[in-house]
Amino acid sequence: MPSRRYNQKIDHDQGIPLADDYFLDEPELAILEDKMPSPETTVKGITQMAFKKKKRVIDSDVLIIGAGISGMQSALDVADKGYKVVIIDKTSTIGGSMVKLDKTFPTNDCSICTAAPKMVELARHPNIELITYAELNKLEGKKGDFTAQIWKKTKYVDPDKCTGCDDCTAVCPVDVISSFNEKISTRKAIYIEFPQAVPIVYTIDHEHCTGCGACDRVCEPGAITFLEKSEEIEVKAGAIVIATGFEVFEPSELRKEYGYGKYENVMTAMQFERLLSSFGPTAGKVLRPSDLNKPKKIGWIQCVGSRSEQEGYPYCSRVCCMYATKEASIVKEANPGININIYYMDIRAYGKDFQQYYDHAKDLGVKYIRGRPSNVYENKDKSLTIRYRDTLSGKVKEDKVDLLVLSTAIIPAKDNKKIAKILGIEVDENGFFKQDSLLQNPVQSTKPGIFLAGCIQGPKDIPDSVSMASGAAAKAVAPVKDRKRHVGRDFPPEKDVSLEEPRIGVFICHCGKNIASYLDVEKVTEEVKKRPNVVYAEHVMFACSEDTCKKIRDTIKDQKLNRIIVAACSPRTHGGLFQDTLLESGLNKYLFEMANIRNHCSWVHSDDWDKATDKAINLVNAAVAKVRLLEPLSEEEFSIIPSVLVIGGGVSGMKAALALADMGVKSYLIEKEKELGGRLKHLHSMFPSDIKAKDIIDPLIKQVTKNRLITVMTESELVDIDGFIGNYEGIIKHKSKKRKIEFGTIIVSTGFREIDLEGRYHYGKNKNIISQTELEEKIKEGTLKKKPKNVVIVNCAGAMDEKRPYCCRIGCGVAIKNAKLISERYPGVKIWLLYRDMRVFGKEEEEYYSNVLKNHHVTVVRYPGDKKPEIKLDKKDPKEGPMTVKVYDDILNEELVLDADLVVLTVNTEGEVLTNTLKNMLKIPADAGGFFLEAHAKIRPLDFATDGIYLCGAAHYPKNLVDSIAQAEGAASRAAIPIMQEKMKGEGQVAEVNDDLCSGCQTCEGICPYSAIEVKPRQDKPDHLVATVNRALCKGCGACAAACPSGAIEQKGFKNKQIRVMVDALLGKEN
Amino acid sequence: MARKQLPKNKEISKIVFKKGELVKEVEDICGENLFGCYQCGTCSAGCPYVDDMDLTPDEVIRYVVLDRQEVLSSKTIWLCSACFTCAERCPRDINITKIMEALRQIILRRKIDHSYAQKTSKKEREAIPQIAFVSLFRKNIG
Repeated sequence: MPSRRYNQKIDHDQGIPLADDYFLDEPELAILEDKMPSPETTVKGITQMAFKKKKRVIDSDVLIIGAGISGMQSALDVADKGYKVVIIDKTSTIGGSMVKLDKTFPTNDCSICTAAPKMVELARHPNIELITYAELNKLEGKKGDFTAQIWKKTKYVDPDKCTGCDDCTAVCPVDVISSFNEKISTRKAIYIEFPQAVPIVYTIDHEHCTGCGACDRVCEPGAITFLEKSEEIEVKAGAIVIATGFEVFEPSELRKEYGYGKYENVMTAMQFERLLSSFGPTAGKVLRPSDLNKPKKIGWIQCVGSRSEQEGYPYCSRVCCMYATKEASIVKEANPGININIYYMDIRAYGKDFQQYYDHAKDLGVKYIRGRPSNVYENKDKSLTIRYRDTLSGKVKEDKVDLLVLSTAIIPAKDNKKIAKILGIEVDENGFFKQDSLLQNPVQSTKPGIFLAGCIQGPKDIPDSVSMASGAAAKAVAPVKDRKRHVGRDFPPEKDVSLEEPRIGVFICHCGKNIASYLDVEKVTEEVKKRPNVVYAEHVMFACSEDTCKKIRDTIKDQKLNRIIVAACSPRTHGGLFQDTLLESGLNKYLFEMANIRNHCSWVHSDDWDKATDKAINLVNAAVAKVRLLEPLSEEEFSIIPSVLVIGGGVSGMKAALALADMGVKSYLIEKEKELGGRLKHLHSMFPSDIKAKDIIDPLIKQVTKNRLITVMTESELVDIDGFIGNYEGIIKHKSKKRKIEFGTIIVSTGFREIDLEGRYHYGKNKNIISQTELEEKIKEGTLKKKPKNVVIVNCAGAMDEKRPYCCRIGCGVAIKNAKLISERYPGVKIWLLYRDMRVFGKEEEEYYSNVLKNHHVTVVRYPGDKKPEIKLDKKDPKEGPMTVKVYDDILNEELVLDADLVVLTVNTEGEVLTNTLKNMLKIPADAGGFFLEAHAKIRPLDFATDGIYLCGAAHYPKNLVDSIAQAEGAASRAAIPIMQEKMKGEGQVAEVNDDLCSGCQTCEGICPYSAIEVKPRQDKPDHLVATVNRALCKGCGACAAACPSGAIEQKGFKNKQIRVMVDALLGKEN
Repeated sequence: MARKQLPKNKEISKIVFKKGELVKEVEDICGENLFGCYQCGTCSAGCPYVDDMDLTPDEVIRYVVLDRQEVLSSKTIWLCSACFTCAERCPRDINITKIMEALRQIILRRKIDHSYAQKTSKKEREAIPQIAFVSLFRKNIG
């Protein structure tokens, strides 16, 4: 945004600009120039509104409450299938908590950059009605037929008129503490939460607005409407998804010993996240609040308010270890001079690549100290002294830090109880929404037709929230599946203009003052009129306003225009809008170009009128040069075979197939074993609730085999596959028979296995050294002969070492569950649990852990990673005799020698055997551990980069039942989207190969991230190899065109010639 | 690192527990569950007397859990002034003060006097206020 014009000359007491003062000049001027709105129009306005008071009723299919990342994902998943969605959010923008974060672990992707495209997509989706600044008032009805009353608070700003120019905040005299910035900065009483907010409509905070009218006077489009009233909207929906998110614990009442609220330089991690954010109060600089100096030493205290049976919440918050690691490494990477300490108890780096991320942070120099500080006090220089016991060295120490960050717990939102009451569902003892059954149906609330997504049922990281949100979408579609679907928008037929001489129309936008105040739009218009083929040029106040769009449509008709240029802002936010305008006029939408004279010109050159004008002229000229050469492009339409292939019949595969069937989608479920059930068949019970695996799996198998929409094929394998999204043809081998099946999309749910320990820990040498799976099988079948007296469980066998640097995510939970199992089976047994970090991170897991320790007197021993426990076999009877386990107790700094007659190893895991064959057959990537790689670690956890293939369950990474089921249902939702759309359209701007130039070198084939290019024999000359582009898969990224050594590939819409004339035009050369 | 050397006391070392009985007795007396401790060190870091203790409060818990009976001869249990800071801040809601008292009770209930009142010199006896003696007797005689 441009630097504020009033920056220097401002009356800071009142926040009133002194120069160019609207407060003093404008009203008089308005009266003098007779610009005051006449009383008649005001009266008319009120009357109109009174008539408008007829209650709005929206007929929708699914209602979604909360538009954070989970709500958005659910909404898009439902809407993409063709159903109408109403999504509401209580704040004035969508995006939720994710957009507050600076970056996301473990990939350090920019948070807003990954969330913003989803926000824009949501706002522009024809099937989604977005209502912000609204709350749920009342709900009636039942599954399939709900009626909700939504209270839409007025923003006092007309969304159709507001252009997001930011002129109003410059004059607003009221400062309000910003809740978006976690109370560390202020905003005005008229505000948008952040620059990328969607919708970009300002909101007047009526609690703080003084009604001075300053904003109204400066608002050029006249968007301020003090008369607009809040309204109640009735929404009819068949299902409801709740995704209202979480709150962050504020340690001002409980855990006061850390000084939050008392000492200036103690902040919560969320506040620190705002400090790091480029659009936060310090624009990304880490400065401590007391004196705005760069801190030399920063400390993080973990588990503030979480893992606390008193003065907090008993559960583990799941994400704090990783976000603290992320924040610390970002700081350390940018400022290696800053010393960083993280005070922790267990680092829960449980997920995919988390352990490696944690190891990397240690390499960067982040110091991890095991110890929970007892208290904090402030020194004279406002630095803070932390008193703690370094439990690994055994010393009580004091550290001085300049800034202290508290990794506070994720807690249920205060509103949860209220919302639950309105919806008629239950919350658990902490205040999170309760599931119907944690282990069997984690997405379902306690009332049919209402589903849960994201952090509202317990703390979660982003990918788990997104998966669950997709799962909720699948569930929410089931009750409305037979309703009419509507995909895309209808436009008039396209006119063929390919033979016409280019007739260009140029619309230059003022963007209120944003452009027109910094450059001469009139001159730009006059200059562009001189260019050849330009038939029409005009400057308009707001190109994106509805009346201008109408004007564009009319001009296209009157002037017979066939190429359109809009010189305004970014095509990323507004391109789609104008392209729709072209479509509405019957023009091909690719005959359009935007020149960004705001972000690229007026905002960055606000100090030089002439040069900014020149640059704008050049930018528009370049667009003119290009648009002349543009061709109408077609989007390939292809049909979709309406069934899904699910590979792997474990719990994930079965749940996915069932979710598909609930949506009315057919599926083939193939399993290589004799029976369905996967790993659960071998297990005794499930962590963390002691439900027998059998009780979960047996009813599931029954449901799956009974379901008519699911074709189960056991002892079958996929041996060959051909085709692409929508049109796959696969060969399934069953015993020696082969069968050909056709399907539209694929879900990979092949699961995981325990690794081969290769003789470590004497595994295989003594009968009484067994893995967790073997133990469960033995307990289940009752084949554990002798009653054990001393059991030693060793966690992390083969995990987090050089060969396999990752954590298996589920081992700690399994170990604790089995400890309980042994203890219950064999009363009086002594159980030792040797661990490295106790990673029990989900809902009810920490509580379960604590209960097992207390009730079963399991003794835990923490051992360091470089001193692995050693097992000594009996000399006389090494095969069955008693053993001793030598372990170094990290806490006491002593070596303990434990007697053992049963040693249970928690063995690390890797991807299933099938990974390699599938990887090559489906052309999908997998990591070193044999787990498949998703398209995006954070926001596309269930998709592959290749369209039409999805993944779920432990094929992605080992995970517990809750997460697997949520993912399976999510993958079902993703895989059903193309099928429910029935037809799909590819990208128009795709790569195109010139067969005569192509040498068949295969460079492009390897480089294409979407597997869209295949090098095969040329049709007319079969001895020549040429690259062929699959238009259904090509996303138009241009990587192949850039890599092609012979210039045989061109990117449509960005052809070499089209780019060259732009460069020439920018350099002032005639063309 | 080797085990910490703790002072030896003839009378106390006569107290013998069977395997696992020490924890049981401590838990019986104080009603706290020692196995719930996850060794975070909060109690030790907040303890005002920790610098003079031979075992830190969290080590005391660990010793009891590991069935190490020498914990009974540690100075720590007598130094504990029952200020309840540890109990107040313990995230596991374990009342460490009560555990200290339980350990003292194990000794005191065996009629072992830990007050050493007769060993105080006359000068000390005159200087120390009466109330301090009362507390000493309460704590160390039972």
